[in-house]
Amino acid sequence: MDSVWNSTVLGRDEARLQAMWRAAAPFAHVVIDDLLPGDHLDAVLAIVDEEPVDPYESDIFAFDATAPEPRTPELRALRDGFAAALAPVLSGFTGKTVTRVDMRAYAYREGHYLLPHSDHQHGLGRALAYAYYLPSPTPPVGGELELFRCTIAGGELTSTERALLVEPKANRLVVFDVNDVSLHQVREVTHGLRLSLAGWFYP
Amino acid sequence: MSTPDELDALAGLLGSRTATITPNAISAAIVAELRERLARIGYRRYALLDRGSYEYLDDALDAGRARALFGDAIGPVRALRLGPGDYLLAHHDHLHDHRQVELVLDVSAAAVPGAEVHYRRRGQLFHRAPSQPGALSTVERDGAVTCHHTYVSRRYPAAEIVRLVARRQPGR
Repeated sequence: MDSVWNSTVLGRDEARLQAMWRAAAPFAHVVIDDLLPGDHLDAVLAIVDEEPVDPYESDIFAFDATAPEPRTPELRALRDGFAAALAPVLSGFTGKTVTRVDMRAYAYREGHYLLPHSDHQHGLGRALAYAYYLPSPTPPVGGELELFRCTIAGGELTSTERALLVEPKANRLVVFDVNDVSLHQVREVTHGLRLSLAGWFYP
Repeated sequence: MSTPDELDALAGLLGSRTATITPNAISAAIVAELRERLARIGYRRYALLDRGSYEYLDDALDAGRARALFGDAIGPVRALRLGPGDYLLAHHDHLHDHRQVELVLDVSAAAVPGAEVHYRRRGQLFHRAPSQPGALSTVERDGAVTCHHTYVSRRYPAAEIVRLVARRQPGR
C-alpha cells in the first residue's frame, strides 16, 4: 500500500521552501498548511486512534503521549512512510541530510504544557524537529508552538525573548532546526484538546 | 550506631533525613503583612526562560526578622513571586555538596491548585510542598537533591504565589 505521505504538498515547491527556511526568524523553520488531502488525514487519524497513550509529567512538561516506540504496526508503518516521503525533501531545502524519524502522538488536554527548551542534546543526533497537528473534537484554546529569540554573549545565554506563535491548526506541519538556541515551548492548553504527531528527524 | 554510609543508604531509601510540612506555621495576619512588605520593596523579574520565569527579591528580610521566622543560623532569605505561566525548573536549582536544610514559607494570599515545590532525590520525588498559605516546608538536602517550583497554570488568572526561601546547616 502507498504511504499516505506520498501525497503531501511538501515536495512541490522546494525553492520556495528553501527561501522560507533561510529567511525564517527567530531560527530556521517552515510552516506548511494543508499537508494532506482530507481522506488521507482520516486514515492518519484512524491509526492514531488505535494507539494507547499514557500520562507523562516532569518539571518541564505535562501531557499524554504514545510510547517512544509505536506499539501498533500501523503507527510504525505511518512513521516509516513519513520518513521515506519527507526526509529527501527536507534534506533538500534545509541543507541537513536526514534519513530516519521518530514519531509519537501527543494529546495536550486542559492544563497540559511543554515549557521552553531546545531539543539539542549531545549524542542524540536530533537534526530537525517537527509537529503535525491533527483535527480535534474540541479544538484547543492555547497550545500554540512559541519560538524564542536567544542572545548569546561570551558563550552564555544572556536573554530570551518571545518571537513567534504558531497556532496548532489541523493538517499543519511545522519543521524547525535543532540547535543550542532553537528555544521553543508549547503554551498551556487552557481549554479543549490539542492532538499532534511529533518527533525528530535524524541523519 | 549507624555508619555515615548506612545513613546515606537509608536516606536514599527514605528520600531525605528531614522532609516535613508544618501547616499554619505563621498566622494569616503575618502572612499578609510579609506579602505586603515584600511588594512594597519591589521584585525583579527573572526571565531566562529555559530556566525559569518568576519574580525575586534577594535579602528579602533583615536578619532579626529572618531569625524570628526561621530560627538561628539562617542564611539570606530570598522571596519568590510566581504568577500564571511562571515556573522554576530543576536545572536552575543550585546544588549543594554539603547538607543544608531548606525552608520554604508560603506567604501567598490564597492556595493555587498544582502550584507546588517538588524535591527529588536522584530523580525520585520524595517531598511535595503544597500551595498552602502559612505553611512551612522543611527539607534536608544535599548534592543528590534537586528542587523545582511547578508551573502555575494560566487557568487561575489571579494566582499569586509568594514564597520565602531560606537555608541553614542541619542540626541547628
